[in-house]
Amino acid sequence: MFLALNEIRRALVRFSLLAVTIGLLVFLILFQQTLQSGLITSFVGAIQHQSAPVLVYSVDGLRNLEGSVILPDVEKDIRAVDGVGVAGRIGQGTFSVHAGGKTTSAAIIGFEDPRVGAPTTLASGRMPDAEGEVVALESAADQGFGLGEMVRVEPGGTELRIVGQASEIGLHASPTLFTTYGTLEHVVAASNPQARGIAPAAIGVIPRDGVSDAQVVERIDSAVPDAEALTRADAVASTPGVAQIQQSFRLIFLLYGLVVPLVTGLFFLILTLQKAQSLTLLRAVGATAGALIWSLLIQVVVVMVVGIGLAVAMYTPLASRRLGGLPLRFQTGAVVFWAVALFVLGVLSALVSMRRVLRIEPIEATTGAGVTA
Amino acid sequence: MSLEILELRRRPGRFATATAILTLLAALLMLLGGLLDGLIAGSTAAFRAQRADLVVYSSAAEQSLPRSRVTEATRSAVEAVPGVADTAALGVVQLGARVPGNAPRDLAPVALLGYELAPRGVPAPPADGSAYADRTLEADGVRVGQTLQVGPARSPVRIVGWVDGLTYAGQGTLWTTVDTWRSVTAANRPDAVLGPADSQALLVRAEPGVAPEVLAARIAHVNDGAVDALTLDAAIEAIPGVSEQNSTFGQIIGVTLVIAVVVVALFFALLTIERLPLYGVLKAVGATSGRLFRGVLLQVVIITAIASLIGTSIAVAIDLALPPGSIPFDLRPSRALWNLAFLFLAAVLGGAFSLRRVLRIDPASAIGSTS
Repeated sequence: MFLALNEIRRALVRFSLLAVTIGLLVFLILFQQTLQSGLITSFVGAIQHQSAPVLVYSVDGLRNLEGSVILPDVEKDIRAVDGVGVAGRIGQGTFSVHAGGKTTSAAIIGFEDPRVGAPTTLASGRMPDAEGEVVALESAADQGFGLGEMVRVEPGGTELRIVGQASEIGLHASPTLFTTYGTLEHVVAASNPQARGIAPAAIGVIPRDGVSDAQVVERIDSAVPDAEALTRADAVASTPGVAQIQQSFRLIFLLYGLVVPLVTGLFFLILTLQKAQSLTLLRAVGATAGALIWSLLIQVVVVMVVGIGLAVAMYTPLASRRLGGLPLRFQTGAVVFWAVALFVLGVLSALVSMRRVLRIEPIEATTGAGVTA
Repeated sequence: MSLEILELRRRPGRFATATAILTLLAALLMLLGGLLDGLIAGSTAAFRAQRADLVVYSSAAEQSLPRSRVTEATRSAVEAVPGVADTAALGVVQLGARVPGNAPRDLAPVALLGYELAPRGVPAPPADGSAYADRTLEADGVRVGQTLQVGPARSPVRIVGWVDGLTYAGQGTLWTTVDTWRSVTAANRPDAVLGPADSQALLVRAEPGVAPEVLAARIAHVNDGAVDALTLDAAIEAIPGVSEQNSTFGQIIGVTLVIAVVVVALFFALLTIERLPLYGVLKAVGATSGRLFRGVLLQVVIITAIASLIGTSIAVAIDLALPPGSIPFDLRPSRALWNLAFLFLAAVLGGAFSLRRVLRIDPASAIGSTS
């Protein structure tokens, strides 16, 4: 312990550089993990946190709420499928909304039946129960979507009152509003007088008692060729773009994850080679190999702990901010996972240096030799 | 052969780890750059190919093409603005397309664009009911001569030829007449129906000698500010996500380069410390600090070059291995060259940290001393 910490104290710049490097790498991983999670939540939070356990899109929608249009015949066929308990229309559109003195894009989702399609993460206020009332994305409160505020849809000038706020209900990274189906129909008619009404984007379904979500999905798919039923989890995972985001980030995490142990391993290997003569001398005067390895391990642990600590210190203030329009959130799970994984990898990377230390022959102190590269 | 190159040849293992780390960093830079370009190109290619000076949206649309509505009257008003040479309608609708020969549920995602002014790489508008298809749709089984059934109303669209690299919102495009686009939209999107002569946006070409920015300001006054006129570059930048992607990836690439500086600095600082006795002897026999430092930089450049080569090869291999339509990845030579230039700069900067130590070496230390 004494030797290890003394060496760190005397070569503070060298060890600090390594700790900062590791800190930057771990910070990048944590930041990108949060970015990935924020992106996915902003894209599909509205699907993930709505009440219908099964969503039925049109096949043409390609599993995208915005692209799906359920024609009247298809809707009738879905409702008639054996096993469907509750079925309700869910509509969606993206509109220009004047809020907080500015005009911005907002997704508006209308549900016919609160049991299928209403937000499940109400954080304050209440659910809409009258025409013109909406629940807004909580993280968009500072953009003029706060509780009690009025927003105006343009063109058409439809006024909407925010009566509730729900967390993580974003769609396509826009401020999102949940409202009744009737309000959505009114908004569409007012903003586009040429529109011939609105077709539901999806039908939210609760299976009848005794029928599982998977069973009702299978039955709808086989009975209605133009419909595609998905459980809520599948609807989230298969939304276009989600899998690509996950794959891209996985590749990046893998490469950054490899760099951390390589940098640590390289540093301690070089350090061991530099100290070869001193280590040989220490062995010659009675220091055991175990003591030297223990000293090396202490240094690795100190560097990794400081590096990871630096990363978390840089990450914490950033994780509670917005990046562009994207709300970020501190992810305890990701911090713990990466901290443990990279710590273990960092310690393992010192194995090569430990091998070198074990190969030291005390007798070589009399010949002036030590371990060599 | 110089001492530095001899060392690299005889003891390559000493440099292997640093090279491996730089290789990973080079691969990361390529991947990040490729992802950024892939995402941007997927969103903006259909706009970048336009031959117009300005894009005009209805002001309530917040520069979003699908939400914009430009009426016939507004178009006439824009055409009357001094400096406008001509205007052309543009519209888009995103739908699923049933491809002959594919399974009933195996649809291709398409963005059907109605156009009057042919973008670069697209012929003049085809006959009504037919379209040119972006070649990325070939991976979905689309072939020239087929008739696709587009949207839930199964609107028929016949494919008459290919265009290249013209995606919209990450989807393969179909380029058709404005009338066909309008009728397909009306049949499949009851909420998005437009008037018989309306479009979503207008492309505007300025008369010779009229600056697009000046013309944009003039058009912005049409019908008491009913429209937004943007230069083509501004319209591309206004596409949702483009500026955010640029800044986020830019920051990640920047921090990765800082890490490259630190890694190289760390590695060569340690290597220099290890060589201090050797440098002392070399200085004692006449080598200058400049000569020794140039040697360090030469090694930095060589291992960075090797790392760049391997890192770029990894990125190219990933690019080739990715199936079309999976990860939006577009490895562009210009981006790759810039990234490599920055990596070399970062590496040289990192290597330069050893300069101070090299300058401080006292040749006298070589006599009777080993450090």
